[in-house]
Amino acid sequence: MRKVLFGVLGCAILVPAIALAQQTGSASGKRAVQTHPDLSGIWTYAIDRAPSALKKEVNGTVTIRTVDQSARHGDATSIRGARPSTPKPSYKPDYQAKVKQMSDHESKLDPVFYCGKPGVPRIGPPRKIVQLPSETILFYEDISGDPYRIIPTDGRPHRANANPSHYGDSVGKWEGDVFVVDARNFVDDTWFGEDGYFHSPDMRVIERLWKEGDNLVWQATVEDPIVLTAPWTMPPRLIKPSTELLEESPKCVETDGPKLLNDDHHGQR
Amino acid sequence: MRALTALRGTITVAAGAVLLLSAVAVWAHHSPSAIFDMAKRISVTGTLTKIDWINPHIVIAMEAKGDGGKIDHWTFESNPPSWYRSVGLARADFAKAMGQTVTVEGVRAKDGTFYGYMQKIKLPDGTSLELVNTVDPK
Repeated sequence: MRKVLFGVLGCAILVPAIALAQQTGSASGKRAVQTHPDLSGIWTYAIDRAPSALKKEVNGTVTIRTVDQSARHGDATSIRGARPSTPKPSYKPDYQAKVKQMSDHESKLDPVFYCGKPGVPRIGPPRKIVQLPSETILFYEDISGDPYRIIPTDGRPHRANANPSHYGDSVGKWEGDVFVVDARNFVDDTWFGEDGYFHSPDMRVIERLWKEGDNLVWQATVEDPIVLTAPWTMPPRLIKPSTELLEESPKCVETDGPKLLNDDHHGQR
Repeated sequence: MRALTALRGTITVAAGAVLLLSAVAVWAHHSPSAIFDMAKRISVTGTLTKIDWINPHIVIAMEAKGDGGKIDHWTFESNPPSWYRSVGLARADFAKAMGQTVTVEGVRAKDGTFYGYMQKIKLPDGTSLELVNTVDPK
């Protein structure tokens, strides 16, 4: 009886250990750590505002300090791993007039103009990434406030009962060296681009992030089968590392609306 | 009282080649031509009375002597705080001039109000800060 008991206990201990060793490929039983590139760090603030520089003159000495706007602009040049992209989304014929109407009156209608949350993907790449074993946290700085997104990476599905939001419900996974964020369940009052790019509640956004040397690459694809003829993959953006700490964004109060005398775009993002 | 004592203002309107530079230089949260008269660059000298370090534009207020010696209350917006941070400037760089005489150059609202877009400011210590699009250190 004692031999049988030890045999059962032995199997109970050994079988999982062997299975673990097989899963990790470690003959010694030492668990191998699955490694991914570490995207953690602070990334250059992606401001896209002209003018491009400040000219400072002190006692006759002039210095010029330029604004790094690189992280706001899609990079049309070849970036390793980037997917084919197009500069604009393709709307179904039934919605093209609406897009034009919204674009023509963007300064009156765009929520972002009036301090609204830009949502995903319009907010662009994160300012800071904290990559943990079971989740990755994305931090942003934005005129509308400073959102964060917690991206589970433990294989859980999207939340079934989450409320629609500006930044959606996201889950993440790794495809090789690329961190893939799948976001959905958005409110439908955001624009995903300045030119009247409205979307339906069914919009889904896939963001891909990877390292290119010391830089971060961010590329997003918007899927909305209700209003788009095909998924829109945006040009990738190359973001440099930064040492500038994140700073709380001051409150946003836009009072220029009544002063606008025409429908010119504001050229924000 | 100190502000009033220090107050002395002039408004000048310039036209010419410099306008082209200003038209390019002021392009921020919205298209400048939707609000401002890009054909007139103005210069206002007066007392700095307020600095709001807010989005989407920082806002400064001035009191300047206008036509007939009356006091005009000017408000200028400019680029957002994050833009100024990216060029190494903070609110304190402007706040040190509070209550003192500064000169602001920019463009004026088309509606004729005392509202403008600040493109350049000259502080009491002689320092000038200008938003430019070209790397022209002249």
